[in-house]
Amino acid sequence: MKLTLQTRDAVSLQIDAAPGQSVLAAAEAAGLYPPAMCRDGQCGQCAAHVRAGSYEMGPHSAAALPAGPGGVLLCRCLPTADLVVALPYDDAQLPRQSVPVRAAVVEALHPCGAAAVSLVLRLVPDAASGQAADFLPGQYMELRLPGGTVSRAYSLANLPNWDGELEFLIRLVPGGAFSGWLATTAKPGDRLELRGPLGHFTLDEASPRPRWMVGGGCGFAPLLSMLRQMASFQDPTPVKLIYGVNRAAEAVPEALLAELRADLPQLETILAVWQPEPGCTAFQGSSAEALAVALKTAATPPDLYVCGPPKMLDAVLAVARAAGLPPAQIFAERL
Amino acid sequence: MFCFQCEQTARQDGQAGCASAKGVCGKDETTADLQDLLIYQLKGLGELSSRLHRRGTPDQDADSFILYALFTTLTNVNFDRTVFVKLIAEAARRRDGLRGALEAAGEPLTGLSAAAHFAPAADLAGLLAQANIASVRAGLELVGEDVIGLRALLLYGLKGVAAYAHHAEVLGEQRAEIYAGIAHALDVLAHDPADIGLLLDEALALGQLNLTVMEALDAANTGSFGQPTPTRVRTSPVAGKAILVSGHDLRDLHNILEATQGTGINIYTHGEMLPAHGYPKLHAYPHLAGNYGGAWQNQQQEFSDFPGPIVMTSNCLIEPRPAYRNRIFTAGPVGWPGLRHIQHDDYAQVIQAAQAMPGFADTAPKTSILVGFAREAVLGAAQTVIDAVKAGAIKHFFLIGGCDGAAPGRNYYTDFADHAPDDTVLLTLGCGKYRFNSHEFGNIGPLPRLLDVGQCNDTYSAIQIASALAEAFACEVNDLPLTLVVSWFEQKAAAVLLTLLALGLRNLRLGPSLPAFLTPALLNVLVEKFGVQPITTAEADIAAALARAA
Repeated sequence: MKLTLQTRDAVSLQIDAAPGQSVLAAAEAAGLYPPAMCRDGQCGQCAAHVRAGSYEMGPHSAAALPAGPGGVLLCRCLPTADLVVALPYDDAQLPRQSVPVRAAVVEALHPCGAAAVSLVLRLVPDAASGQAADFLPGQYMELRLPGGTVSRAYSLANLPNWDGELEFLIRLVPGGAFSGWLATTAKPGDRLELRGPLGHFTLDEASPRPRWMVGGGCGFAPLLSMLRQMASFQDPTPVKLIYGVNRAAEAVPEALLAELRADLPQLETILAVWQPEPGCTAFQGSSAEALAVALKTAATPPDLYVCGPPKMLDAVLAVARAAGLPPAQIFAERL
Repeated sequence: MFCFQCEQTARQDGQAGCASAKGVCGKDETTADLQDLLIYQLKGLGELSSRLHRRGTPDQDADSFILYALFTTLTNVNFDRTVFVKLIAEAARRRDGLRGALEAAGEPLTGLSAAAHFAPAADLAGLLAQANIASVRAGLELVGEDVIGLRALLLYGLKGVAAYAHHAEVLGEQRAEIYAGIAHALDVLAHDPADIGLLLDEALALGQLNLTVMEALDAANTGSFGQPTPTRVRTSPVAGKAILVSGHDLRDLHNILEATQGTGINIYTHGEMLPAHGYPKLHAYPHLAGNYGGAWQNQQQEFSDFPGPIVMTSNCLIEPRPAYRNRIFTAGPVGWPGLRHIQHDDYAQVIQAAQAMPGFADTAPKTSILVGFAREAVLGAAQTVIDAVKAGAIKHFFLIGGCDGAAPGRNYYTDFADHAPDDTVLLTLGCGKYRFNSHEFGNIGPLPRLLDVGQCNDTYSAIQIASALAEAFACEVNDLPLTLVVSWFEQKAAAVLLTLLALGLRNLRLGPSLPAFLTPALLNVLVEKFGVQPITTAEADIAAALARAA
């Protein structure tokens, strides 16, 4: 269905709505964020008026409905046909999740385990964002090579900060366009174009459940950012990290994990090695297999955060489903 | 979860109260249950503190903790479950400390409530399993809705009193009678009173205590920052780096102004911080540049647009949008999971954020509003006011006080202000005024028709104005041509309501809806015994007020 949102200053915004999707959910999916508080038909914050089209109103409080014909609450307004909705504020007052395009220069580049590098960029201040490295732990950015058309998405591994610093963990893929550039050409001072932050793979910080994080390859990067966030806040939520590598030498440096444990003493880590060498003391197998073993003795069903290559992700999700983890407790990001 | 402490509580299918996984305010079930448990423990702690007060050996740290902990449970203050897990553990530690002090003093520890003996679980899951015992409706089947409602009125009023007392305390106003009164009210609640008469008496006593608290807060604010004077406040931005300060805490604002001196960063007030501009010692900072935005419920739009960091110093916080999540900081009792909290008055991160953010690129054409008509300023013009009343130029005063909110019923207050006749004066208090304070109301002689008395925290000032007018006209406040038009939202308003009732003030219109925790029988008591009237329509209520006065 087609929805038209008309702002008070007569700007028309066209968005799509899926059957059963509220106008609010459709707007947010389109990157528009109408003010909304309870999302439950009670507070009246998302009041608007339908000017044309048909809809149904889900459960709501009559006292929250705005006066006049077509008065609706966007969180409870379910379009049953194309709809025109008048919003009681100007276009400029309708928050958007705009995706900034920024410039940054290479600040440092060093190995991280045997198969990846850590790339540190420094943002160039601009009029829209200043010097702020503003993102949520778990989000990613698109990086474009200098002067070229090659663009790759990588998750941020550090924390949002005011110094303009961005850190990425990038797996070196033989013959890869971006990682090849990193391995052979890149040097401090090189300039890149960035688009982001992007993505919804972020912590559900309100959840009281234990957090289990499963990462494969450079899927560790967004989990590292989340763990750093928890460490920075000394978040006492129980947290377990299961990360899989092909060879033990590819594991992230122990110093990194030790740094996390200093402020996150409850952090448990399980290293799963797919091709163990003799004498390897880590879990022998995939991260999905390590998860399956751990879930058997889980006291409460955890929230699961998983990031990695498609095959690894599918295997982990299959294990989670088989263990009966509710979909709402599974947060997944495909590399 | 069950919570019905604020005006916007869910009201659906004849049932009032937020009872799902998340309340209307954004408070989730876990946090709500932990807040209930914390309150339960504070009752036990208050009971022991009350005994120490009666012995004349109070524990100042424990008393301050009680104020702070109660404040965290107000609507739109703290949503962070980890904070409540810590506060619950701290309450138990402090309670044990007070027990030790009483035992050492030879006081027999008999007759203590169950709350005073409560042993909280060590972990979150255990705490949540204990939460039922602490529900605001615990014991409903034994005592009935009226008793539960009156206990809630006492508890919610007490939360408001504690919040005001905390604001006064951080500015150095620490009075034993206030701590003793708060501990006493907790002691009363700890024993689950079921006597309606006793509960009503305690509620009125709390209202009286709140008058003392508000007087202390007035003394704290004016003692620290001078008597407010009529001041024009810029409401459009000026070019430069910027920090926005929201909430009510003048001390925090002052500390931010101090910390940013000479940095080139401009400071803007938001929401209830607007009246701060009227205080001479705050106004004196040249980088207190102006006021930005409106009332609290618009913050998601306004904070998204603001090109710098935001500091939320007290209520009213709502769920932060991703657009400003990293640049909104909480202070004092405020909290939200994943937001940075200011500790030990260290604003370094806020300043760093302001310097990293772009700030305002341009200076907008100047717009302004007038604030600062607190008691001294109004009473300074008392002769003008009295003469205008005597000459018939002022027919009536409407004090429009209280909070704003998103519900459409709050348009009543805009209509009220806009329809009040030109020979009436509008006194405003709280953030409800944002609905109409940029409207043009004109003057009566030299006197602006709209006089802003201040924050909801400045109720004492309004009461003083009313008392002084009554004295000048040699009548009772209830005989003045004065109507109180109250828009309540959260628990501070419950405290103020109890004060107005305790003072015997009638001619009070309450809206936009009546508290969900008050049963029809209790509402009837308010109407019959105290003269509280629900709002109807602005036109009808104005006409009724003017007819009474005529």
